[in-house]
Amino acid sequence: MEKIKELFRRLGYLFSHNRRSRELENEMAFHREMAERSAGPEGRRRFGNAVRLHEQSREAWGWTWIDRLVQDLRFATRMLARSKGFTFSAVLILALGLGANIFMFSAMDWAFFKSLPVRDPNSLVRLMRRSPDSSADAMPYPTAMYYRDHAKTLSAVMMLMNGRLELDPDAKALSVNYVSATYFKELGASAAYGRLLDPSMDDQQTTSPAVVLGHEFWKQYFKADPTVVGRTIRLNHQLATIVGVEPYGFPGLGNQGDSADVWISITQQPYFVSGSKALTDTLRETVVVWARLALGVTANTAEQELLALTDARRRLSPETVWKGELIRSEPAGHSNVLDAGTLRGLSIVSVLGVLILIMTCANLGGLLLARGVSREHEVAIRIAIGASRKRIFRQLFTESLLLALLGSAAGLALACAALKSCLLYFGRPTWVSAAPDWRVCLLLLAMTFIAAVFFGLVPALQLARQQHKRTLARQVLIGLQVAASCVLVIISSLLVRAAQHVIYTEPGFGYEQVVSVNPGFDEHGYTPAAAQVYLASLEERLRAMSGVASVSLVKYPPMGSGWIVNSEINGQRLQIYRNWVDSEFFRTMDIPVLLGRSFAPGDKNAAIICQSLAHKLWPDENPLGKIFLEKNIVVGVVADAPINAMRDVDALELYSPAQLEDMNAMSIILKSSGAPDDLIPMLKSMVQSLDSRLFPDITLLKSSFHEHMQSAEQLALLMSLIGVAAMLLAALGILGLVAYTVSQRTKEIAIRLALGSPKMYVIVSVLRRFSTPVLVGVFAGAGVSAASSQILRRALYGVSGLDPISYSAAISVLLSVFAVAALLPARRALRLDVARALHQE
Amino acid sequence: MPMVNMPKDEMPKPGMPSGALAMLILRVLNSGPLHGYAIAQRIHVLSSEVLEVEEGSLYPALQKILLKGWASAEWGISETNRKVRFYRLTAAGKKQLEAELQDYDRVTQAIQSVLRTA
Repeated sequence: MEKIKELFRRLGYLFSHNRRSRELENEMAFHREMAERSAGPEGRRRFGNAVRLHEQSREAWGWTWIDRLVQDLRFATRMLARSKGFTFSAVLILALGLGANIFMFSAMDWAFFKSLPVRDPNSLVRLMRRSPDSSADAMPYPTAMYYRDHAKTLSAVMMLMNGRLELDPDAKALSVNYVSATYFKELGASAAYGRLLDPSMDDQQTTSPAVVLGHEFWKQYFKADPTVVGRTIRLNHQLATIVGVEPYGFPGLGNQGDSADVWISITQQPYFVSGSKALTDTLRETVVVWARLALGVTANTAEQELLALTDARRRLSPETVWKGELIRSEPAGHSNVLDAGTLRGLSIVSVLGVLILIMTCANLGGLLLARGVSREHEVAIRIAIGASRKRIFRQLFTESLLLALLGSAAGLALACAALKSCLLYFGRPTWVSAAPDWRVCLLLLAMTFIAAVFFGLVPALQLARQQHKRTLARQVLIGLQVAASCVLVIISSLLVRAAQHVIYTEPGFGYEQVVSVNPGFDEHGYTPAAAQVYLASLEERLRAMSGVASVSLVKYPPMGSGWIVNSEINGQRLQIYRNWVDSEFFRTMDIPVLLGRSFAPGDKNAAIICQSLAHKLWPDENPLGKIFLEKNIVVGVVADAPINAMRDVDALELYSPAQLEDMNAMSIILKSSGAPDDLIPMLKSMVQSLDSRLFPDITLLKSSFHEHMQSAEQLALLMSLIGVAAMLLAALGILGLVAYTVSQRTKEIAIRLALGSPKMYVIVSVLRRFSTPVLVGVFAGAGVSAASSQILRRALYGVSGLDPISYSAAISVLLSVFAVAALLPARRALRLDVARALHQE
Repeated sequence: MPMVNMPKDEMPKPGMPSGALAMLILRVLNSGPLHGYAIAQRIHVLSSEVLEVEEGSLYPALQKILLKGWASAEWGISETNRKVRFYRLTAAGKKQLEAELQDYDRVTQAIQSVLRTA
């Protein structure tokens, strides 16, 4: 209590500093007068230096450090203003280093830490099915409804199902979010125009159900016309009424906000998709489920109640519940959930950030050391006239801090500008803004201070101690920055190589002429038998079409999501992509059969595996005839073709013959003999002529493939930018340090030249001391990259983490950049006017 | 305790332990509010001109006492008709003085008993 009162008094002194100071001065003047009066001039002499005494008394208030700080700042500002070139390059380097970090962190911030701009984001959870053997991120609609109706710890349960519908008259395919009618209300959203979904109106059967337009779709298709509200449209030939427009920048849950063209109440799904069993099927996981925890309920309590409810469900309908099933909740108030995989990805990004920061600091440290030479004189004078080393050090450090602050302000501006242009370029998500939040600012402040300590400490100490002949600090700085830039350049060249690899290497299957057609049987409630009949007649018609080379069935069409089996075979834990296909599949996809045969009609337990899987399971044996995974008999081995796992270099494939029960989940793929683009309208009419209720999803494989390539190219571009930036930073640093050495050794160089030493020899002697730290740095950097490249494996698309071309290219480019950076200032040494240089010294 | 501090140098240095000086100041203020010069004089006189409070330590000590809340300052008129700050002991200051006096008594008694018996 006393302490607090004292603090307040102290603060009072700070705020009325000038008045108090005047009062104290007056008081001491009075004291001096009185003393003089009683003791004559002797008294005055004893009173000493009035100003100094005044300052000493003021020190008791505890605020003199502010005075000193202001003094130091003023001096630092003057010093920085005097050497504009130095200040500019230092601020630029810092802005690049800090800006890059802020940029990366902001992206992470949006993805993982920032709350979504919805009502009370912290009480939102996502519910998922888990059991020791299985897991699913979605659940059947009846299951979700059961939890909604019975859970007391949840104040609301929201469901979402994706779908597609065709908008008449031009058959434009729309992406649809079917959601619980409470969805918008629960998230606190209000319509841009009209109204959003409302449980009291939109869950009943009507002749023309409500549709809410997605904001982007409304802007593009309806040209942002507010009068569309109330208009009637036809979706899959069914009447619907536009009741409103989604608000701009609505985030949605699980990144679903921007993606939908229209929002429809989930209860209306069967109205639009005739024959749909999505709401009644108790086994198929059709809906993604979120919930809001009731007031004061923790996620843990809710999970316990859900476990009890799951057990109750098991008694009611045992076939719908897994063995040992429980419902897991995950916080849903953020754009993404941090799991182990993403955390590893993030740690790579953070390491890159730290590397950039290290480089920046080493770089500036070098610059400051070089600048220190020209300031030795000034510091020597100040020490000579009585400045304490501590004070000098503090002053120099203040200068570094000021520099760091300027740099971080510039870095923040740079990062914000870059973020803004990125957001514009990628166009989404709309709820994200480029303005920094408190986490970003906090990190920036911390980094600024750390950077100032790292780049400012060594030079300031050296100057204050007046020991400038020491070269160890310089060598370490060079080594550090070479190593850091080496890691960055090698990693970026690896990623660029990977992108090249992806772009210029065939993926292992044909895609140019392949079209996949998903008729959407199970959406429309087809039975397997009905689907089989349908497929048979469709296949027959397709084969008769001109321009069709081959037709086949596949359960998980290429470039889409796949079915992953995790299991232990022959003592190895394997992740296998399994697909169900027919006998024509390998011919249609141009996947060569290497051993054995393709499927034949009537195959049941036959299995065809990819080369890598065969090699993994039976390295030295003939895989044909082997039995694995219960009773699958290997009948053939095909080439590796990661059709459902383009991003996974370790993908292993297992194909099984499609059976009758798979038929209503099958897609058709066909290979054209010419360009496939013209086939699409014909395909569509053919699918619908057999059943007018179907709205097939037709995809050109080559366009999916190019979309995929684009993201790889973007990553490569980004990485090469980082690599170039790293190289430039390092080159600047080397340039500064060599310039420093030349200026420090001007006299020696001049004498050598005067004595007739050959120019080459002089250059070599200047540069020789840099060779060791550069080489050590390169080796350390290469080592670190090699060690960390295992983590990057997934992103390298099959390029080895030790790819010699990437390493040698990166290192040789780096070394030649260093050589140029070193030679530029070294050349200055040769053009030295010997007489003047010696005279000056 | 070395309380005698003869001024020898131009540059005044804090000679008396600041704790001891604060105690003396508080004790002198106990008999009524005084201004800075009067405090120094009083200590000088009361100590039979043995203790001389240096101005360089008096004012820092007074600032500290104000900060601690042991004394409050108020404006008054000096004997030479000048506006000057008078220091008045507060309740907290009285408490502090008592505590310090007790401590001091205990320590001196202890020292004396050692000196007598050893």
